[in-house]
Amino acid sequence: MIRKTRRKRTWFVAALLASGSLFATALPANAETGVSSSEIKLGITLPLTGAASPGYNKIGNAMNAYFKYVNDNGGVYGRKITLVQKNDEYSPQLSIAKTNELILKDKVFALVGPLGTANFTAVHKSVGLARRGVPSLFLNTGFSGFASKKNYPTSFTILPSYAMEAKIVAQFLKENMAGKKLGLVYQNDEFGIDALGAFRAAGVKFDVTIPYTSGTQSATTAQTWVSQLAAGQAQVVVFFGVTSATAPLLAVAAAAKYAPQWILGSVGSDPLTLRALGVPVAVLNGALTPAGNPSPNDTSDEYVKQFQEINTKYNTGTAFDDYVLQGMNIGLMTVQALRAAGKNLTRKGLIRAMESKGSTFASVGYSPLGYSKTSNVGHTGYYMAVMDAAGDRKPYGGSVVLYTTDSGSGPVVKSTFKRPAMPAKGLPTNS
Amino acid sequence: MESWRKVKVVVRKKIFFFILVGWVLLIIGDRVDELRVYQGAQIAMYTIALASIVLLTGYSGQVSLGNGAMMAVGGYSAALTLNNLQTPIWFSFLMAILVSALFGALLGAAAARLAGPYLAGTTLALAVGLPAIANQFSFLGGEPGLLFDVGFPPESFGEEFTQYKWFFWIASVIALLSLFITSNILQSRFGRTWRAIRGNSLAAELSGIHSSRMKVLAFTISAALAGLAGAVLAMTISLVAPGAYTLTLSFALVTGAVLAGISSLPGVVLGALILVAIPEIADALAGRLGDADKLNNYLPGLIVSVLLILSVIYTPNGPGENLRKHLRKKSAH
Repeated sequence: MIRKTRRKRTWFVAALLASGSLFATALPANAETGVSSSEIKLGITLPLTGAASPGYNKIGNAMNAYFKYVNDNGGVYGRKITLVQKNDEYSPQLSIAKTNELILKDKVFALVGPLGTANFTAVHKSVGLARRGVPSLFLNTGFSGFASKKNYPTSFTILPSYAMEAKIVAQFLKENMAGKKLGLVYQNDEFGIDALGAFRAAGVKFDVTIPYTSGTQSATTAQTWVSQLAAGQAQVVVFFGVTSATAPLLAVAAAAKYAPQWILGSVGSDPLTLRALGVPVAVLNGALTPAGNPSPNDTSDEYVKQFQEINTKYNTGTAFDDYVLQGMNIGLMTVQALRAAGKNLTRKGLIRAMESKGSTFASVGYSPLGYSKTSNVGHTGYYMAVMDAAGDRKPYGGSVVLYTTDSGSGPVVKSTFKRPAMPAKGLPTNS
Repeated sequence: MESWRKVKVVVRKKIFFFILVGWVLLIIGDRVDELRVYQGAQIAMYTIALASIVLLTGYSGQVSLGNGAMMAVGGYSAALTLNNLQTPIWFSFLMAILVSALFGALLGAAAARLAGPYLAGTTLALAVGLPAIANQFSFLGGEPGLLFDVGFPPESFGEEFTQYKWFFWIASVIALLSLFITSNILQSRFGRTWRAIRGNSLAAELSGIHSSRMKVLAFTISAALAGLAGAVLAMTISLVAPGAYTLTLSFALVTGAVLAGISSLPGVVLGALILVAIPEIADALAGRLGDADKLNNYLPGLIVSVLLILSVIYTPNGPGENLRKHLRKKSAH
């Protein structure tokens, strides 16, 4: 009897401890989450460590560098921007945990530039971004599913969709590689499957098709890919995967002296990262890639020049590459979005501003921005670029030939669009 | 007849106690912010998972380092059931229990022949291998995993009733039911038999206990609990993926059970609290050490390892167990 009473007491103590810890904090009320008179708190999840981190781990710091530059020049209507970076190691369940921290603990105003298709799909569902009304700006993924305004009413992508990219590559293959044996290596999640669907719709038939599961990329798996491609005598190989998969593929192919015409998807074609991962530069020579931005080495470009200056001062010691360029550009677009939302900053106001003014924002990308009340897709086109022996990128054929299209059944058309000029000193003044 | 009446009274009192705890949790869920509600659901999930270790290791004396893998079996079973058969939520949880129990029975049959470090090694291999196998099959979603969407809370609960509160309610009800059933099992003939086997397997055999069969039964029930915890974990993150059921999770569970007192079922609540608190402590620590963005993913694992090592060195049965003994001695005097 005494023992039972003691056990009951232990139960009560355990329950009380649980209750006590849960009561530990209470939710403070404020006007708009993550916004004060002096600060705007933003959050990003990205792989800072792990297999997929090379390259992507620079984006957050590049954004931060741009925000520091803006903060030093008065901020956004007097408010300084703080960016909270969380390392998700490119793992969806970590993205969920870290986004939860950003929303519930750090109480950020909005998410900017989150990475990864599978990651954001899981986060959006699990954290309930739409129900919470949390703006998620400039998603660094091209999954065409995110184009659905109905399912993703508070999210806005920055990249053209993978479907758009595949349609443009398909057009290029038809115009320039007719009659050649084609191979395709793709990541078999929404990322690659999106592209695969678009290739099929465009009527491109691959002689060798190799899917791979995200996370399984390694030198060993790349051996299998190369063997299959070589056995199928693929003369042109299209690759839709991340850079950590591009690197072993090209390295193994070079070692095996297998040299098809590579067409590397925009996601996995950063030369600096490829070289850092051990890919011989010579292999990159002549590789083609759909590109949306100018080369990060093109100092004649006003955006690149300005961003390089900011990088030198605020991101000391970091080599300026495509990832840094993209990070800075997301920063530039974020500041324009915050300004467009007005001095009385609210989440709803930010989303309205993206819908009504987003298409006019200055961006380093050559193609038009598609933001509107019915579209949450950012850039809408690519040009084909060729890499040289130094890993630099130049427009294929000598000058930029911009193709634009949509994620659906719309045609691929050559565009004469001229992007808006870089704001003076890289500091937006829009409203 | 008299003893049956006593049992009925005890069970009735226990039911009343669990309803009371449930009511307290309900009130708490309404008063705290969403982060704490979310952590409450995690505490409930860990409570079930730790109960599975207490039953297996604390009572039947079998050491398993593979409970994370059993959780994965439960999580994937629930997700595959829900996604492919569009069943009600409760059925997907039921499938998680059944499939992981089956896995547990198979593993238990092999484990009954093993003991000590050999058993620990085998279950460790399972913890390492099983999530990696899941990574290789496309129908299991590869590394990105599968979505596990239990849906929104009923509209009648009102607009203020958040998704996380819904998770908290479901997880709490499941945890309370699991603890109620487990405590009854442990106080029954089975619990006494397992303790006898743990104390001296040979003596138990001599007194007519079929120890191998009882060990398999312990593995089966423990796996069922772990599988259920895996399904609850999948619900709280709306996802099943290999990365959610890592070796780190298996070690964290063992650490939580040891810290709480390996044979103390009420202690699992404390163990679960510690496991949820560790990332918070790690976050604060990483902030002080600098480079928090990279550090705070690795610090929880380090803290868990250090706590486990310290506990094994200084309090082999866990501080919780020592505290219990100390309190028992004190009340005896």
